[in-house]
Amino acid sequence: MTDRTHSERITFHDAIETMEVDFSRMTFADSAQVDAIYDEVERQLTATGKRWFFLVIYTDCTIAPEAWDRFAERGKSANINHGRGSVRVDAKEQTREAIRESAGKESFRSNIYDTRDQALLALGEMRKRQRDMAKASEEVFLRAENVSLRFGGVKAITDISFEIKRGEISAIIGPNGAGKSSMLNVINGVYHPQEGTITFLGKVRQQMRPHEAATQGIARTFQNIALFKGMSVLDNIMTGRNLKMKANMLQQAIWFGPAMREELEHRAKVEEIIDFLEIQHIRKTPVGRLPYGLQKRVDLARALAMEPELLLLDEPMAGMNVEEKQDMCRFILDLNDQFGTTVLLIEHDMGVVMDLSNFVVVLDYGKKIAEGTPDEVRADPNVISAYLGASH
Amino acid sequence: MAFFLETLLGGLMSGMLYSLVALGFVLIFKASGVFNFAQGAMVLFAALAMARFSEWIPGWLGMENLFVANLLAFAVAVVIMFVVAWLIERLALRYLVNQDGATLLMATLGIAYVLDGIGQTIFGSDIYKIDVGMPKEPVMMLESVFEGGILINKEDFIAALIAALLVISLSIFFQKTATGRALRAVADDHQAAQSIGIPLDRIWVIVWCVAGITALVAGIIWGSKLGVQFSLSTIALRALPVVILGGLTSVPGAIIGGLIIGVGEKLSEVFLGPYVGGGIEIWFAYMLALVFLLFRPQGLFGEKIIDRV
Amino acid sequence: MFYRENGQFKTSYKADQQVFAIPQDRWAIVALVVFAFVGVPMLVDEYLFRAILVPFLILSLAALGVNILVGYCGQITLGAGASMAVGAYAAYNFMIRIDGMPSLAAILLGGLMAAAVGIVFGVPSLRVRGLYLAVATLAAQFFCDWAFLRIKWFTNDSSSGSVSVPDISLFGWTINSPTDKYLFCLGILVVFSLMAKNLVRGNMGRQWMAIRDMDVAATVIGIRPMYAKLTAFAVSSFYLGVAGALWGFVNLGSWEPAAFSIDRSLQLLFMVIIGGMGAISGSFFGAAFIVILPIFLNQMLPLVGSLFGLEVSIALVSHVEFIIFGSLIVFFLIVEPHGIARLWATGREKLRLWPFPH
Repeated sequence: MTDRTHSERITFHDAIETMEVDFSRMTFADSAQVDAIYDEVERQLTATGKRWFFLVIYTDCTIAPEAWDRFAERGKSANINHGRGSVRVDAKEQTREAIRESAGKESFRSNIYDTRDQALLALGEMRKRQRDMAKASEEVFLRAENVSLRFGGVKAITDISFEIKRGEISAIIGPNGAGKSSMLNVINGVYHPQEGTITFLGKVRQQMRPHEAATQGIARTFQNIALFKGMSVLDNIMTGRNLKMKANMLQQAIWFGPAMREELEHRAKVEEIIDFLEIQHIRKTPVGRLPYGLQKRVDLARALAMEPELLLLDEPMAGMNVEEKQDMCRFILDLNDQFGTTVLLIEHDMGVVMDLSNFVVVLDYGKKIAEGTPDEVRADPNVISAYLGASH
Repeated sequence: MAFFLETLLGGLMSGMLYSLVALGFVLIFKASGVFNFAQGAMVLFAALAMARFSEWIPGWLGMENLFVANLLAFAVAVVIMFVVAWLIERLALRYLVNQDGATLLMATLGIAYVLDGIGQTIFGSDIYKIDVGMPKEPVMMLESVFEGGILINKEDFIAALIAALLVISLSIFFQKTATGRALRAVADDHQAAQSIGIPLDRIWVIVWCVAGITALVAGIIWGSKLGVQFSLSTIALRALPVVILGGLTSVPGAIIGGLIIGVGEKLSEVFLGPYVGGGIEIWFAYMLALVFLLFRPQGLFGEKIIDRV
Repeated sequence: MFYRENGQFKTSYKADQQVFAIPQDRWAIVALVVFAFVGVPMLVDEYLFRAILVPFLILSLAALGVNILVGYCGQITLGAGASMAVGAYAAYNFMIRIDGMPSLAAILLGGLMAAAVGIVFGVPSLRVRGLYLAVATLAAQFFCDWAFLRIKWFTNDSSSGSVSVPDISLFGWTINSPTDKYLFCLGILVVFSLMAKNLVRGNMGRQWMAIRDMDVAATVIGIRPMYAKLTAFAVSSFYLGVAGALWGFVNLGSWEPAAFSIDRSLQLLFMVIIGGMGAISGSFFGAAFIVILPIFLNQMLPLVGSLFGLEVSIALVSHVEFIIFGSLIVFFLIVEPHGIARLWATGREKLRLWPFPH
């Protein structure tokens, strides 16, 4: 019933290192049909001996329930063995389910786009990111060295050093009063440490102002949601684009011309973020009227509008119920995945930290007591005694 | 030299008069965190009450004794200021709990206008006399030291004494009594004070009452000196730099600040004024305050202003 | 029902961010402006122009300036009168000291001078806020009061500080009749209002509002407080300067420093509070209110008094004015801090739903 042969459906675009597979108008009734085309895909991939990006078209493609498992399995193995990243076009809801299952994560966003052009654009961004990451991996992304911070007689942070890699999600955890927010404030330039240095993107510095941190690409959210109460959601997020707006005051006063164009251009970008965080329905609402969970989302949106290199999240899940936490987790994973933003977050909920992060730093009484992957940290006796008390 | 001393002393005296008004500012700010722009209007209102009642009471009661009439008028004026304080709390302050400073400031501006309007409607808008027996003649002192002696105004001298007395008693009140402590708690954080059971409304009535009585004393002294007229309410504007210099939360600061401003104004007018066209009294005090604002906003004795992130 | 926006969907961001998004609004505003330019001169007599309309237009412009600084950027000022004075005296000096200076240019240059001075007086806002900033602006006010009274150069050696200007002209059109003055001021107001609206809905406005709402968060996003605050002072002072020049040149013809004293500053502040802080329309509401109320009271109170057989003196009318102003300030601050503009907006919302309850 195929109008084309399997190999006709497979095209290699060398210039953009992409293999395009066109599943459109196919029906997979059973595992055998799945295998048929995937065998051909594997054969051709192995022949090239390289890794490729995948562009997969799902228009009017139907996958029967019996064939799902097999489909998911084959897709996963293709990704692992030959893939560098994939974008998908025009998939129906059931197909999206299957794809999510194959990734094995509840909160996986599967890079599905409505048109081929959008998918190619995203592909281009993905390729650029990987190139940048490869280039930048020699450069130090964020390193704190021997940072100490005192407020009068109170030692908030004592001699802390750690390093964060680009593109990862890292977390700082610790009991209350351990100095986590202070550490974030130091990275951000709000507090100035008495000793130690922060290296960001290869530049070493002992102090900087929050405004400079922003220009270098560090954004943050606040524990107590520092939103601008007098403005709507849309305006709040648009303030995040401030550093990228170039029109001067006279142009803005006249409006028509460069100022309006710029405004519309940034509006489009902000709308992408609004779509991403699913807050379209409240974009004109004054933020003061929103419930806490939505305010936190707007706070995140505003930080994202800066297109930061490093995103500092100060207790993003605080005060949320289970569903809201799941949503927030999904967003954080997606933004790391899709925009490539490096995330450093403070969080108390251990489940969240373990699920989300690649790397964890544990603080207690202003000192670092452990660091490593979530599993390493969880098993570390120092961490256990800090949280549960030392008497056992 | 004698002239310099005369100017200096004159400045000290007028400084004390400013301090009297400034005290009202400090009291209310210290106790409720509100900056009371209406203080000047309160001085005028109180002075009007005193002046008119001291006129009317002899007429009503048919008495001749000036001293008793003044005493009665004073008592009536105190009661009136109490009512004013109660009304202000009831009608305005109660609804502005925990608003930010700018809002409260503008609200007191509104209250000032209302007080001005009501005061003049009830008591009239001519110039009135207050005669509490303050000595009007100046006296020559230190004739042996300086030729011709130094001219001192007895009235100003007595005013300075009264102001000093007021300050001492108020300082003791704030530091040593339980009410004083409650007042300081309220100034720090309205809502927190409420939540530990401090009756906000009663505290505010007390404070505005005390401020009202201070305004009455200031009004009597200024009114006796200048006559009671509308321009009295602009005294508040002259006293503002005093609290900036001294610190909004410091009672002794109001005195020291007043002395500095008073002396500064007089000296600058006499010695600097002729070079720049004269009349610099208006802004000298404010320029001084501006300098403080830029380098030491809390003034000489005030508490450091901490902005919490 | 006729005001409903049903069926009016915006299909582009451009359509969405228009100033008057609803066609009914757009038509209403166009009609209003046309009426203002064409209809009013036909209907209104000289007295109304001189007593109400021209002052209203000029004070609206001034209130716009104050609103930008106080309402949008959150910096309290008691020195608005001083900015107006700088604009007026600067324009005057440009006019008489430079031969052949066109009047409009002199007025605009006066505004620019006021903007420069405004930036200087705005420097304290970088260190202090609230009451302390108010005191700093008072310093500016009193200094300017003294300067224009005592420094002879400013007033061309006039002994009392009062100056007068000849009739102004614009490209050959001599502006001396009340109708001419009205149209001139109306034109300037319309242009300046549009510019203000554009500034306020764009990036600059958002920076100002961010500083007003939470300046620590604003720095973290990359907004520089110094830039935002000083530009607010500059733009606000520019508007106030132009208004001051217009007040002197067009409204009064001759003036003295007292026209721009602290009473003026307070009056402008009240306009903005009552009219609505942080709303362009609030400036107009406030100015209208402040201009019309005294005249209204002047007519009304004697009438009311005569009903009760009471003699109402002029002094009494002005006292009652004070009482009403003061009470309204307190009332609005308690009940509706966003002034008449918010009441108006709420009214329009209800109009959208009418005759349905929700």
